[in-house]
Amino acid sequence: MNQGRQRYSQTILEVNLDKGTVERCSVPAEDVRKFLGGRGVAAALLAREVAGPTDPFEPAAPLIFSMGTLSGTHAPMSGRSNITFVSPATGLYCKANVGGHFGIQCALNGIDQIVLRGRSDKPVYLWIDGEHVQLRDAGALWGCTVRTTTETLEATHGPGVNVACIGPAGENLVRFAAVMSSHYNAAARGGGGAVMGGKGVKAIVVAEPRGSIAPVVAEGFHQARLEVRDALYADTMADSYYNYGTAASVEMMNELGTLPSYNFQKGGIEEIEELTSQYWNKAGLLKGRIGCASCIYSCHRFIRIDEGPYAGAFSAGPEYETVTALGTGTGIASIGALQRANELCNDLGMDTISAGGVIQWAMETFERGALPDEYSEGVDLSFGSEQAVTELPQRIALREGKLGDLLADGVRMAADSIGGESWKWAVHTRGMEQSRVETRGALGYALAFAMNPRGPDHLHTECLAEFGMTPEMRKLIKEIAGDERYARSDIPDKRAEIVRWHEDIYAVSDALGLCAFVTTAAYGATPGRCARLFSSMTGIDMDAETIMAAGRRIVTLERLINLRLGWREDPSSYAPWRLMNERQESLPIENPILDLKRMQRMVREYYALHGWAQDTGVPLPETLKRLELAEFGENGGGAQCSTDIT
Amino acid sequence: MNRLRVDPSCCTGCSSCELACSFAKEGVFSLLLSRVLVRRDGENASFRPRVCIQCAEHPCIEACPVGALSKQAATGAIQLAEERCIGCRRCVDACPYDGVRFHEERGLPLICDLCGGDPSCVATCQKPQALTYIPVDAEGGRSDEPR
Repeated sequence: MNQGRQRYSQTILEVNLDKGTVERCSVPAEDVRKFLGGRGVAAALLAREVAGPTDPFEPAAPLIFSMGTLSGTHAPMSGRSNITFVSPATGLYCKANVGGHFGIQCALNGIDQIVLRGRSDKPVYLWIDGEHVQLRDAGALWGCTVRTTTETLEATHGPGVNVACIGPAGENLVRFAAVMSSHYNAAARGGGGAVMGGKGVKAIVVAEPRGSIAPVVAEGFHQARLEVRDALYADTMADSYYNYGTAASVEMMNELGTLPSYNFQKGGIEEIEELTSQYWNKAGLLKGRIGCASCIYSCHRFIRIDEGPYAGAFSAGPEYETVTALGTGTGIASIGALQRANELCNDLGMDTISAGGVIQWAMETFERGALPDEYSEGVDLSFGSEQAVTELPQRIALREGKLGDLLADGVRMAADSIGGESWKWAVHTRGMEQSRVETRGALGYALAFAMNPRGPDHLHTECLAEFGMTPEMRKLIKEIAGDERYARSDIPDKRAEIVRWHEDIYAVSDALGLCAFVTTAAYGATPGRCARLFSSMTGIDMDAETIMAAGRRIVTLERLINLRLGWREDPSSYAPWRLMNERQESLPIENPILDLKRMQRMVREYYALHGWAQDTGVPLPETLKRLELAEFGENGGGAQCSTDIT
Repeated sequence: MNRLRVDPSCCTGCSSCELACSFAKEGVFSLLLSRVLVRRDGENASFRPRVCIQCAEHPCIEACPVGALSKQAATGAIQLAEERCIGCRRCVDACPYDGVRFHEERGLPLICDLCGGDPSCVATCQKPQALTYIPVDAEGGRSDEPR
């Protein structure tokens, strides 16, 4: 019988790009208990390095790849990984989560965390084959797209390898460049691809793994996994994810007036049919479903356009966020143009949400007559311009021309450059373009976005339950808030409790490698079940309460990192200006705007629940003590990294 | 009696079957120790699970020079007598479905034994149904193409 690696002990691969050396060390045993693995352990690693405001491109600032503690097993949806870094978009803490097979390939190759430090003076890629790890020349790959890079490296190293790489956007330090893995999976938000590009690293290539992993308590793991699997199959959301993916609700939201469109000026578009996954199925555009490692839903879909001006465009997705970012947000109603834009962003290695965000901002700036003529450069920038969405991704990724270069730095810096009132429709906070979620009608999401360390984004604290769409969601809201009547998204009451619960379990998910859809959208992987999976995997005792406390510890540590990086309480940054100052009349609710007073009330309740100071959002000393985070308080722990930024 | 049916057009490439197999058969998670191998073309989202489908012809049994392979009466699974096997790989080469893997360190082939009649891989594939467990004489039971 094989032994198999046990995950109470975890391994870090330390890559020094200045010296070109690679070393292995162990994650401190206490960190596995306290931070669970994955995103949690990475936050602890970063917290020990960041002492003050840090230039994201400072070579000493690390880029950390983290595998979940369950990754490499068949626990449902357990194959996801994270990257952690200081964001070029916000200057703040950022983690970006990614599916595909990269995480399990690393885990089965014996690696839990990869820390890239320094900067290589020539392009390199990291080759990992079990014990054998090497930096190799990537000169010939520099400038290549994600597809070409992946194909070339697969051809070089043979079948069964997995490639995580950057495209031209990362090389050109586009502030929303992604790290792409397994062809179409993006660690998209916050510009991790630019950090990787700044370090001169084109790719990480992981060999077909020869290693193995074993739970400490095999039978317990088997049972816990069956429980989660059965609950997920039984969840009301299961069929929808499999049949229609994340874009399942586009048509319904359009009808309700809740689908962000025209840069958050409207709640829908007139011609929605082509942008719905129901249409893609019916019209034969859906060519296949893609499962991330260990996924039993397979929400990721592969769409190819067969006819018309965009015939031949193919990629995975578009996901819901891409539909709204590059479709309804720009006024595009054609699946062909949308899929071409999506394909380009994936191939150039860019976040579709921010790419859509900057294009929408450019369109509005143009239509309002605020964009100087020299920026148009032959592109029709009106809303609905297919030319704009299919040509701008390339210009942005290559920083081509005045417009491409302007947009490559994100809407905050673009609006600073153009001036006038253009900042008012730059839909971001702290430099991060908002996910295409209409938070004026979803106060739990609004609070979550305001508190999210990486900016206004759904992938840190998804809290779908507040809409109460399924019996599972309503049951959960009753558990959290005491009554099902709180399962409505337009009231501030109990949002703090709902957000904090989802925040905790989301951190647990990211640490274990679980897809957040199984904890915060479908709800089969409950805290108790996550605890049983973790305990049987590692032999470290954990129950529902202690694992949620670990989630809270991770969230609190991320707040501490952000405080060091210069985050300050700022009510004007609770939401993008537009959402706090312009009503969205299409929303079917009484008060369709993010009123500052309501936001402040929710934030105060949230801070009280966390044990963070009411006026500053700084975790109180007793909170740090309770969460075993005292070593990280008062700038404790941060040793290495800080840049003199003014 | 049932057999495995493979429908590559439904496979999502999630690896659940591979991991479930190695865990069931070896007690560890390992892509190398799985009796199912998913061949991948990620760019085109094309995934092809390869595993013994208990075909009626069983050329692997005929190819074995030492008689180490036989068909289990109860389940129809191919059974390996490890003590007889000489590691010659002729069964690997003989299988038209690419359904036999070879474990280099052990010097032995890895062949699906249907987990005694309740294949763990099938249980992980409820939604896509790329792997199903169907009666041997079922209609339309041959969507898996030879290699």
